[in-house]
Amino acid sequence: MNIHINGKAYSLSDEIHSNVSSALTLHFIEPQQSTFAVALNGDFVGKSDYDTTQLNNGDSLDVLLPIQGG
Amino acid sequence: MALNIYGQQLDSRFLIGSALYPSPHVMKQAILASGSQVVTLSLKRQNPADQAGQQIWRYLQEVVTKVNGHLLPNTAGCKTAKEAVTLAKMSREIFQTDWLKLEVIGDDYNLQPDPIELLNAAEQLINDGFKVLPYCTDDLVLCQRLYDLGCQVIMPWASPIGTGKGLMNPYNLETIRLRLPDATLILDAGIGKPSDACLAMEMGYDGILLNSAVALADNPVLMAKAFSQALQAGEQGYVAGVMQQRQTAHPSTPTLDTPFWHQN
Repeated sequence: MNIHINGKAYSLSDEIHSNVSSALTLHFIEPQQSTFAVALNGDFVGKSDYDTTQLNNGDSLDVLLPIQGG
Repeated sequence: MALNIYGQQLDSRFLIGSALYPSPHVMKQAILASGSQVVTLSLKRQNPADQAGQQIWRYLQEVVTKVNGHLLPNTAGCKTAKEAVTLAKMSREIFQTDWLKLEVIGDDYNLQPDPIELLNAAEQLINDGFKVLPYCTDDLVLCQRLYDLGCQVIMPWASPIGTGKGLMNPYNLETIRLRLPDATLILDAGIGKPSDACLAMEMGYDGILLNSAVALADNPVLMAKAFSQALQAGEQGYVAGVMQQRQTAHPSTPTLDTPFWHQN
């Protein structure tokens, strides 16, 4: 399965990285210690739904962190 | 007098951005010098291992905690209602606030808000429980529509973001104040000089939101103080009641019993 996380392509094992929670381990060293939020294909995914939100080939995850703003 | 943001009373009428400062330390000092209790910030794609990003986030948390203030996440960069709604929900989860500076940009040249998408996003977000502070143009009818949707705070621009051109159209801004007497009006974007902020407050605006004018000053900390004082001067001038302009000169000094001349 091929997905994008923040625009970067990843090839995932369907068995190991089948949901948002497992895919985030590709992007974070320690996701539980970071401040971030996730959108899947442009729709918000709440933290409580990471484990149950399944990924499909071609999906795009956005992982956003706080930054300065005006 | 307090600034009312959806029932939350704030001592300071100065809302300040956290971007563009020469360093995180200067940002922190400038925010503290401004006396502001509302600091804007955003969300972007970042490498989680980027320590600079994490440091900024820690600085902002420290500052806001120190002034017993509030974070005001924005939806900068969004061009559609769908993008803005998604980003708003992500911000609410991270920052644990339902306050939102709603930006939906319709033109890349002057970063002018898209009124159609803005109204659409505002309606969805208000129905979802957000307290929306929409950044909009100085169009009276658009401001009225946003207010009718339930936006208790309206934030028309002074001029395009980051230009520092000041109040492009004072007539429009005065009309919005006149026609929306119960809305909390915050002038957002385009402020360049402390006198711009003072002028808006003299019109009866409730507050000012700015970023570039402080962050890009030669001395951001001093400029933050200058803006703070300008806001206070403008507000007090508005409350005190400005004299009516007159078409002809009137001597200030009493003319009765003037000595020496005009004696004939």
